[in-house]
Amino acid sequence: MNSNSFSPARIWTLAAATVTQLVRMKIMAFLVVFCVIVVAAGFAFPVMNPEQQLKLLKDVSFGALQIFSVVIAIVSTALLLPRDLEDRTLYTILSKPVPRYEYLLGKLIGVLLLIGAGLVLMDIAFSAVLWLRQSLVLVQSVAALKQEGVATPEAIAQLNEFVGKQGLTWNIHLGVLAIFLKASVIAALSLMISCFASSTLFTVVISLLVTIIGHGQGLIREYFFSEGMNQIIKKLGSAMLAILTPDLGVFDVLDNVINGEIVSAFSAGVMIGTAALYVTGYVLVSHLLFVEKEL
Amino acid sequence: MPDSTSSPPAVTVENLTKVFKSGLGKQAFVAVRDLSLTVQKGEVYGLIGPNGSGKSTTMKAILGLLSPTVGKTTIFGKSSTEVESRRDVGFLPENPYFYKHLSGLETLLFYGRLCSMSGRDLQDKAREMLALTGLEDAANRRVAGFSKGMLQRLGLAQALLHEPRLIILDEPTAGVDPAGSRKIRDLIMGFKERGITVLVTSHLLEQIQEVCDRVGIMAHGRMVREGKLDDLIAVENETELILADASPDLLAEIRTLAESKGAKWIRSGHSRTTLERLFLESTEEPKS
Repeated sequence: MNSNSFSPARIWTLAAATVTQLVRMKIMAFLVVFCVIVVAAGFAFPVMNPEQQLKLLKDVSFGALQIFSVVIAIVSTALLLPRDLEDRTLYTILSKPVPRYEYLLGKLIGVLLLIGAGLVLMDIAFSAVLWLRQSLVLVQSVAALKQEGVATPEAIAQLNEFVGKQGLTWNIHLGVLAIFLKASVIAALSLMISCFASSTLFTVVISLLVTIIGHGQGLIREYFFSEGMNQIIKKLGSAMLAILTPDLGVFDVLDNVINGEIVSAFSAGVMIGTAALYVTGYVLVSHLLFVEKEL
Repeated sequence: MPDSTSSPPAVTVENLTKVFKSGLGKQAFVAVRDLSLTVQKGEVYGLIGPNGSGKSTTMKAILGLLSPTVGKTTIFGKSSTEVESRRDVGFLPENPYFYKHLSGLETLLFYGRLCSMSGRDLQDKAREMLALTGLEDAANRRVAGFSKGMLQRLGLAQALLHEPRLIILDEPTAGVDPAGSRKIRDLIMGFKERGITVLVTSHLLEQIQEVCDRVGIMAHGRMVREGKLDDLIAVENETELILADASPDLLAEIRTLAESKGAKWIRSGHSRTTLERLFLESTEEPKS
């Protein structure tokens, strides 16, 4: 391979242009909507007990983060390649000394940068609201204990421990990391589909379908490949399902995070490794499809 | 002057055939059939033909955007399938579009970076290209607001940005007004003087005639005529004689002499200007 055939600077140029393109499409307006949702969820139900209040805030916020990341991962990735082809911008880019894999990497990295930056900003807003809510809940609960005359040091310590577990912890950021990793896999999958799809709509629909199936891969395996089935058929069916759809269940740690359970370093490692494998696999297949594509 | 010695030609196309597969039950479409051509360094080569004759497919194959079904194409001796072959090429596609969210200057900076240009050199070169193509005032305007002619000029600017040795222009004057069209023609003449090789397609045959050293005529995916322009358009048994301030008597004398020597007098009359020249003379602002 020629030394000039790989250029991180060119990939960065393409990624930066992709980020600018998506930002100027006002895609980040979702951030404002997210902030409104988080603030509303944080302060809308003061009559609930402290545990419910914090859980609801986390539940709603993580839900909004998931929607943001999945929608951006599918829609923006599905838009990029077909639009460049329709506008013939692809001709002027690929008639420069730009290998096709650099173009694909630039586009994917641009989308991932945008999702990553969006998630970081939303994580900061979410953490700030959660911390405020947690402090408020603590003050209110201590006041309630005092009013009831049961504010013993043990009760207050127990309350502190409980609220601390349900409030802002590193677990929250691990939950956001899981969302980002899942979005990365979905973006790479959408990129691969857009390499052979005939339209943006087709890419969006198929990506969405595969994403939904990917979330329920475990259930599908359980349902269709029951114990009474021949082992070979079971293995083949599972292998086919694994090849055609990513197992997105690996990234579903949010329920644990919302319930205040600790996400272990091992689980985080498995998520990162799985995401890396899927993204690498999808990018390789995308390259094989795109390099043969007639423009 | 075209350089056909030692070093490899700017472009070679050898027995190129391109077949586009169709859907189930449909017949495959043969866009180009057994096409061969060579463009020497420093030459301006015009590829002309009706719509659907295979010109754009040939250009895409030369640029590596399409892979040949049969045959091969090279740029300065390097196969078009190699990314390196595009280092010395500037390409202006027909009706080019660019990222609408970028300004004119940002667009050129983007393409410059793709050609490994950077820093002050890139900034200076981008501004120079904007000036050359008359887009200085549009440097900070979003491309979304550009007219068709401005997009065409921006396309030309990005094609020239990295000082390529070969420029490929697909219908460079499509949608451009006669003044803009003349400007592009002058630029091509300038490339020729600087020894840059140009491969151009155009429907405006008069322009091709004005700028090209050699011409290839394509029809139904095949090369039907090819050669030096002067050789192709010369009518072997006719001679043109243009006189200024000739009196009717003198013309009568020449005619009599010619016919007495066995020549056939075909036509005489006033020379005519072209509609393009008339348009430009009428619409150009008077210089103070």
